[in-house]
Amino acid sequence: MGGTESIPGEGVSQDDLYREAVDHYGSSLDRLARAYEADSEMRRDLLQDIHLQLWRSFAQFDKRCSLRTWVYRVAHNVATGHVVRQSRIRKRLASIEEIEGMASHEQNEQVTSKNQALERLSTLIQRLKPLDRQIIILYLEGMDANSTAEITGLSAANIAMKVHRIKNILRRWFHEGGPHAG
Amino acid sequence: MPDEFPLNDPKKIWQEQPTEAIPMTLDEIRRKAHRLQMIARVVALAWIGFGFALCAGFARASARAHVVIPRIGWAIMSLWCLYGVYHAFKWIWPGRLPADATFSTSLEFYRKELERQRDYGWRLWRRSGLAWAFLGLAFLVVIPVVIGSLQNPRILVNAVPFCVMLGIWLVVFLSTRKRKQQELQQEIDELNAMDRGSR
Repeated sequence: MGGTESIPGEGVSQDDLYREAVDHYGSSLDRLARAYEADSEMRRDLLQDIHLQLWRSFAQFDKRCSLRTWVYRVAHNVATGHVVRQSRIRKRLASIEEIEGMASHEQNEQVTSKNQALERLSTLIQRLKPLDRQIIILYLEGMDANSTAEITGLSAANIAMKVHRIKNILRRWFHEGGPHAG
Repeated sequence: MPDEFPLNDPKKIWQEQPTEAIPMTLDEIRRKAHRLQMIARVVALAWIGFGFALCAGFARASARAHVVIPRIGWAIMSLWCLYGVYHAFKWIWPGRLPADATFSTSLEFYRKELERQRDYGWRLWRRSGLAWAFLGLAFLVVIPVVIGSLQNPRILVNAVPFCVMLGIWLVVFLSTRKRKQQELQQEIDELNAMDRGSR
């Protein structure tokens, strides 16, 4: 395992890249793991796996994309693999479009505290299929459509359409008290 | 109080949630990566060793058999073990992280994962050469039973309940697998449509 191997032609080691990634995106990775795994023990394992794969991946980082894109791709893909392997969970997941059109009265109370709001947000995210989950996480992390498109492989137009739907859902869940309130 | 900050701002709520410390130090990551690679190598070596041992055992049984049909059966089983050893080396032996393993775009990665799950049964069957194992077993068990039943039909009658149970299991197994594969295929088609829309 070449922990201190330099990236070809760059003179930056795998360890340095990993440190830089963790300095800048460490808390984002923690939030990402929370979005993919509700169970705290399994979430810890997932987060460890994300860090491990991230460090390993830097042995092949060729700077064709930005460090941020690389970090998010690796992390999302590790987490997606985690969800896909748990096929029982995967079967219950829905797309953004399905949730938008869902006639559910689960969230029929207005949020009154920050914790309640976070819990509601986490519930929503954990109900989504992996690709849609990535889009909402990247939206919440403040990424624009082009960056999200680069990470996910979808077009910016497609992302913009999905983000529009996400905003509708969030408005219903946070401002109007529930999917069919108001 | 829906308009009070930050309850009406999901981005803020998301970004300001409490986070935990990074679960491992860099040294621990290196050690864990090294340990995982070692474990994977040991597992691969164990499978390879087991395959060679079985291969030698079956070859010995083939050499010792006095009747042609079991001899062929043992020989096929022995060759199947060699095939298994080759595939254990090819698929289980840990290599470097494949270039497309984790940093392909999410769409590609997700589709590949679903395809891998859809094809899992078929690949397992093909990679492990199970058809050869069943052929060997047919020579060792089925053909001798059929030949024996010509002299004593009771042997076949005794085998009927087992065959019926096997048949029921096969039908349930295949129909469940087919339904799962259809569900996965539907999701793959949705991703493909999404991808086409992106180009």
